[in-house]
Amino acid sequence: MSDDFSVDDVDLAIVEQLRSNGRATNQQIANNLGLTAATVSTRIRRMEDADKLRVVAVSDFSAHGYNVLMELAIEVDGRPASEVAAELAEFPEVFAAHLVTGRYDIDMLVVLRDFSDLPTLLLDKFSKVRGIRSMMPAIAVDVLKYKFDVAPLEARSPQ
Amino acid sequence: MIAAQLDDLDRQLIEVLARDARVSNRKIAGDLGVTEGTVRGRIKRLQQDGLIAFTAITSFGLSNTSKMAFIGIQANVENVRDVAARIADIPQINALMITMGRFNILAFCLFDTLEALIELTSDQILAIPGVHHVETSIAVKTMKYNARVVRITERDKSIDDGD
Repeated sequence: MSDDFSVDDVDLAIVEQLRSNGRATNQQIANNLGLTAATVSTRIRRMEDADKLRVVAVSDFSAHGYNVLMELAIEVDGRPASEVAAELAEFPEVFAAHLVTGRYDIDMLVVLRDFSDLPTLLLDKFSKVRGIRSMMPAIAVDVLKYKFDVAPLEARSPQ
Repeated sequence: MIAAQLDDLDRQLIEVLARDARVSNRKIAGDLGVTEGTVRGRIKRLQQDGLIAFTAITSFGLSNTSKMAFIGIQANVENVRDVAARIADIPQINALMITMGRFNILAFCLFDTLEALIELTSDQILAIPGVHHVETSIAVKTMKYNARVVRITERDKSIDDGD
């Protein structure tokens, strides 16, 4: 895919303003940056239309009833790791799944309502996926920082 | 941590705002059949409870951060909080959690060049007193990712308190 979309310092300054407050009005942003509201509006729309920017509400895991967060590294054997990852990604508890370099082949973020959901998830769901040699969990006991504001952006669906 | 008690209207608001945070309260109120005051009050409460935050998400490649790495760190057990806080203060670190497992700190970063990643892990993180071992693994393909559901930390709340 050719990607000749480019941004300048003004675009990046607007993005910074939106990162700290996504609901700032065009006028507030314009005042902070010494621009006109019309310029701010045009710049934001241009980046949104190119699927380079989304200004959104992010919600906390707990708003969705998830209170346990863990990272799960998976070692694959006898099956392409991308197939195993694609199958694991179907589970709603699997929140993120990446193919990675190193000792393990797949790295996932998994969310649970509480620890009593763990046996079912590991022993009845994940264990049915063919090709998993081992699973190595790391349970989050405290999250100090969580700022994933760069991500693959989907095209906006016309709803 | 608070136990979230959300009703249908809260969930509808979260869904609408997750698509586009810049839609006006008046438009949301009209679409959901409630008053503008209700929308404003609900949004304020959800923000104050740390359940939602408004931010901008940019696509990979818009700025100089195109790849992601997982950084597993073994650090002193007795002062892991302090070590973790120092690492979280590094601007290039996007997320950091204290974990129970093969590492006691797990960090995530976005990087553009391998040199930048090595500088971060080998020069910056490994030099912090109390850090014993650092293991890096690079995400080569993302199969699933939802940037809109996150852990809203104290750091985020302090940023969002404006307005």
